[in-house]
Amino acid sequence: MPVFKTPFNGYSVRFSPFYESRLAVATAQNFGILGNGRVHVIDLSPSSPVINELIAFDTADGVYDVAWSESHDSVLVAAVADGSMKVYDTALPPQANPVRSLKEHAREVHGLDYNPTRRDSFLSASWDDSVKLWTLDRPASLRTFREHAYCVYSVAWNPKHADVFASASGDCTVRIWDVREPGSTMIIPGHEHEILSCDWNKYDECLIATASVDKSIKIWDVRNYRVPVSALNGHGYAVRKIKFSPHRRNLLVSCSYDMTVCLWDFMVEDALVGRYDHHTEFAVGVDLSVLVDGLMASTGWDELVYVWQQGMDPRTA
Amino acid sequence: MSMRELVTGGTACAVPGSSSSSSSNPLGALANALIGSSSKNQGVLKEIPNNSAAAPHSQFYSHTGDPVAALPGSELDRPFLQSNAQGSEFIRGFRASDANGFADAWDEIQRQPPFDPVAGPAPPVQPSLDGLSQGDKQCIRDRSSIMARHIFSDRSEEFINSQVNALLSSLEIENDIHARGSMPGRFRELEDYWNESQGVMKPVAHPADGWVTEFSQNRIHHGGPDAWARSFEQQHGAGGWASEFEQEQAQLTSADQMRGVNMGNLAAIQQTRMLAHTLSQNGDPKFQVFRGPDQWANEFSAERLQQEPVDDQWVNEFSKLHVDDWAEEFGRQVGEGALGDDWANSYDEFINEQIVAKQRSDASRGVYVFSDMNPYVGHPNPLKEGQDLFRKGLLSEAVLALEAEVMKNPENAEGWRLLGITHAENDDDQQAIAAMMRAQEADPTNLEVLLSLGVSHTNELEQSAALKYLYGWLCHHPKYGTLAPPELTDSLYYADVARLFNEAAQMSPEDADVHIVLGVLYNLSREYDKAIAAFKTALKLKPNDYSLWNKLGATQANSVQSADAILAYQQALDLKPNYVRAWANMGISYANQGMYEESIRYYVRALAMNPKADNAWQYLRISLSCASRNDMVEACDSRNLEADASSFIYGACSHPPFLVAGSGDQNFVHELTHSRSSYGRIVLYI
Repeated sequence: MPVFKTPFNGYSVRFSPFYESRLAVATAQNFGILGNGRVHVIDLSPSSPVINELIAFDTADGVYDVAWSESHDSVLVAAVADGSMKVYDTALPPQANPVRSLKEHAREVHGLDYNPTRRDSFLSASWDDSVKLWTLDRPASLRTFREHAYCVYSVAWNPKHADVFASASGDCTVRIWDVREPGSTMIIPGHEHEILSCDWNKYDECLIATASVDKSIKIWDVRNYRVPVSALNGHGYAVRKIKFSPHRRNLLVSCSYDMTVCLWDFMVEDALVGRYDHHTEFAVGVDLSVLVDGLMASTGWDELVYVWQQGMDPRTA
Repeated sequence: MSMRELVTGGTACAVPGSSSSSSSNPLGALANALIGSSSKNQGVLKEIPNNSAAAPHSQFYSHTGDPVAALPGSELDRPFLQSNAQGSEFIRGFRASDANGFADAWDEIQRQPPFDPVAGPAPPVQPSLDGLSQGDKQCIRDRSSIMARHIFSDRSEEFINSQVNALLSSLEIENDIHARGSMPGRFRELEDYWNESQGVMKPVAHPADGWVTEFSQNRIHHGGPDAWARSFEQQHGAGGWASEFEQEQAQLTSADQMRGVNMGNLAAIQQTRMLAHTLSQNGDPKFQVFRGPDQWANEFSAERLQQEPVDDQWVNEFSKLHVDDWAEEFGRQVGEGALGDDWANSYDEFINEQIVAKQRSDASRGVYVFSDMNPYVGHPNPLKEGQDLFRKGLLSEAVLALEAEVMKNPENAEGWRLLGITHAENDDDQQAIAAMMRAQEADPTNLEVLLSLGVSHTNELEQSAALKYLYGWLCHHPKYGTLAPPELTDSLYYADVARLFNEAAQMSPEDADVHIVLGVLYNLSREYDKAIAAFKTALKLKPNDYSLWNKLGATQANSVQSADAILAYQQALDLKPNYVRAWANMGISYANQGMYEESIRYYVRALAMNPKADNAWQYLRISLSCASRNDMVEACDSRNLEADASSFIYGACSHPPFLVAGSGDQNFVHELTHSRSSYGRIVLYI
C-alpha cells in the first residue's frame, strides 16, 4: 500500500470528492507549534503503489486542516494556524495561488468542512471560540457563530440537512446549529473533557459521534441526547479525529494520539473491528473515501501519509 | 528523540537507540524534537526556493508586487524560521543559562551531525537576535499548552503547566507570557440542565428564559483571564449584536407564529451561551463552581468576613462551628460525587417538571388560563370591583374579579387589558401575555395593550414579537403614526425600530411613553446605559409611576448595578407596597449578589401575596438549593408556603419588617451559610 512522506508533520488528510485517487494533505512544521506549513495534493497512480505529488503549496504557518471544494474539482481550502484560510486552485499556475486568503479568525483555524449538499459554503472552526460560515465568492464570512467557551476543534455539516451542522469544542460540548437560526439549537455536553472531533452518520442524520480527550468516542442521537447511544472505548490516548463511513451505516474510523487508527462498528457489542498501528507518532488525520468503498487514508506526526484498503495492512507494499 | 517519547514518557536524556526507565521530562522531548527536527529539515528547506511547484517567496515577502501580497493577512505571514541559525543560538543560549536539567539533552544534540550551513540563496528574513519574536513565543506557549492538555488529560493542571514551562524554558521563553486559559470544565453541571431548557424544540419553560437573561447580562467588570474577556467583548458589542441579529432576521423565512416560537426557544439558547460566558468571566468566587475543599474553605472564610456587620442571630450561631471540619466533610462528599450530582440532578428534575407542567398547562402560548372557583362570578359589576381591588393593591383578588368580568364580556378590551396589567404586576408574564393578546384582539389599536405586550415579550426574550408590538404602538399612535410606514411590519429590524423611536422622542421630548418604549427597546438590545437614561427621562416626567421605577431597577440590575437597582425597587414599593413583581425583583437582586438567605425572604414575601407567581417559586427553589436547604425544596415543589415561611422566620434584622424574630433553626442556619454559589445571575422583569 502506498506511502507518502511529507517534509513536515502531517495534520489532516482528505480525499477529493471528484477524483478517486486524489487526496489533499495538510502539514505543519515542528508539530504545528511553530514554523511553516504545506498543503500537498497527491495522487495514487493506478498502476504502481507509488503516490505522486501533483502540487504543493507553502504557507507561512502550519496548516491544520484542508477541505476540498464540492463545487469545483480543483479547488481546496486550507486552514492555517495564523488564523487565515487559503483557497487554492490546482488548475491555476503556482504564481496565481493562493487564489484567496480569508483572514478573520483571531486565532488558529483548526477545522474545516465543506457543505456536501449545498456545495457552495464551508465552515471554519477556530481556537478563537468561533465558527464562521464562508462561500468561495465572498471575501468575508457570512455568519459567525460564537457561543463556545473554548477552542472549537472541529465542525461538521449534516449530510442530509443542508443547513445544520455540529461543532466540537474544548469546552466539552458539541453544539448543533442551524444556519438559519441566530444561535445554537442544541448543546450536547458529551464528555468531561475536551471534544476534539465530531461527525454525523451518513445514513442516519440524527446520529452524531464525538471524540474526546477522555479517550472515548460516543455516539449520540440528537433526539435523545441525554444518554449516548454507544460509547466506544479502546484508545489509549485522546482521540483526535473520527469519521463515519460513507458506505456503511455503522462503521466509523478514528485516529488517536496513541498512534493507532481504529475501525468501529457501534451497533456491535464489541465495537472495535479493526486497528491499524502503522504510525510511529501521533495519528492525527484520517479520512474515508466517498468514491471507493473501503479506501482509507491516514496521516500523523511521523510525516507519513498512508492510503490503504480496509482490511489490508497499510504498511505492505 | 521523537514524539513517541512524549507519549511513553521516555526520558529526554536518552542516547538515541537506548532507552531509559526514568522519564525526566517528556516535553523536553518535544523541545529536542523541535530543535532536532529543525536540523533535519535543513535539507528540505534549502530545496524549497527551487521548487517550482510552489512559490513560497511570494507569500512571505509582502513587498513583492504579487496579487498574493495584496491579500488580507499576507502582511502577517511570517518569514521562514531560520532554523539553522536558531539551532546554534539555542545551544549557545542554553550553555549560558544552564541548570534546566537539559544538559544531557543538549549533549545529545551535540552528538548529532553538525548543522548544514545554509548555502545558496537564503530567503531574506529578519533574524532577530534570539531567533524568536514575542509573537512566536506566545504562539509556542499557547499551542503547546493546548496540545499538552490533550495529551496529559488525566493529569492535573499544575503538571501540564510545569511541562509546558519546562518546554518553554528550554526554548528560552519567559514564563510570564500569558497563555491561553484552560477550558472551563466546570460548566458541565450547568450545561446539563440548560440542555433541558433548550434542546426541547417546544416552547421553553418560562422561568428558564427569564433568569437566564440575567446571567448573560452580567458584564465583564469582575475581570478574568484576557481571552475570555476578549471573546465576550466581541460578542457583546451592541453594534455587533444588532447587525448579527439583522442578519438572522433577513434569513428567517418561516411564518410569524413559528418564528415566535423559535425565537423564544432561541432566545433562551442565546442566553444560555451568554450564561456560559458570563460564568467564565465572573471572577467573583461566588459565581464559580466549587473547585475543591480548600478553595471553598477559603472562599467561605472570606464570606464570613463580609458578613460580619450583619447583626443576625444566625451569624453568631454559625461562628461557633468549625470551618475545617465542615470543609472536610464537604470535600468528602464531593469526593464521593454525592453533592455535585445530586444538585445537578435535582435541578434536572426541576427543569423537567417545569417543562412538563408547561406543556400540560398551555397547549400553545397565549392561552389564558382561568382560575377555578372564582367567587366573583355572578357579581353584578366585576369590572368596577376589579378596578377597585387593583387600586387597593390586592392584585390576586383583582385578577379574580377581572376574570369574572371577561368571562361575562369576552369582548371587553378594558377588562382584558386591566387583567393583563394585573398579571404583569403580579409577576406572571405568561398570563399577562395571554390576557393582553385577548385585549389586543378586542381592540387592536389600544396603545397601552401594545406597550404591555411589547414589555412582556421583552421579558420573555422574544425579540421579534416584542419588536412587532412596539412597532405597532408607534403605528397606532396618533402623533407618531406618520413616522411608521406600515409595510415595515413584516420584516422588523431592531435598528430601524430604534431609529424611529428616537425620532419620535425628538419630536416630542415631553412624552414619557416614548421614552418608556425606548427604554424597553434598549433592554432588548442590552444597551443598558441607554435604557437607564431613557427610563430616567421618563421618570422625570412621571415620577409616581411605580412600574416605571421597577423597570428602571430591573434595567440597572440587568446591567449589574445592583445597588442602584435596590434603591429603584424601594421607590417602586414605596409607591405600591403590594407590588409583587418588585418584591420578586428585589429577591433576585439579592440572589444575584449571592445573598441567598435575603433573597429567600423576598421571594417568600412575594409568594405570600401571589402564590401563583411561578417565577418566584422557581427563584425560591434556586435560592434554597444555593443555600443548601434541600429539604425545603420539597415543600417548595409542592407549593407549600407555610412550611417555607415558618422556616424563614428567624433573626430580627433591618430588612423586611414583616419577618419576626422566632425559632432559629440551627441546622438550617448552618446550611444556609454554606451556600454554594454555582449559579450566575437571574434576570429581572421590567
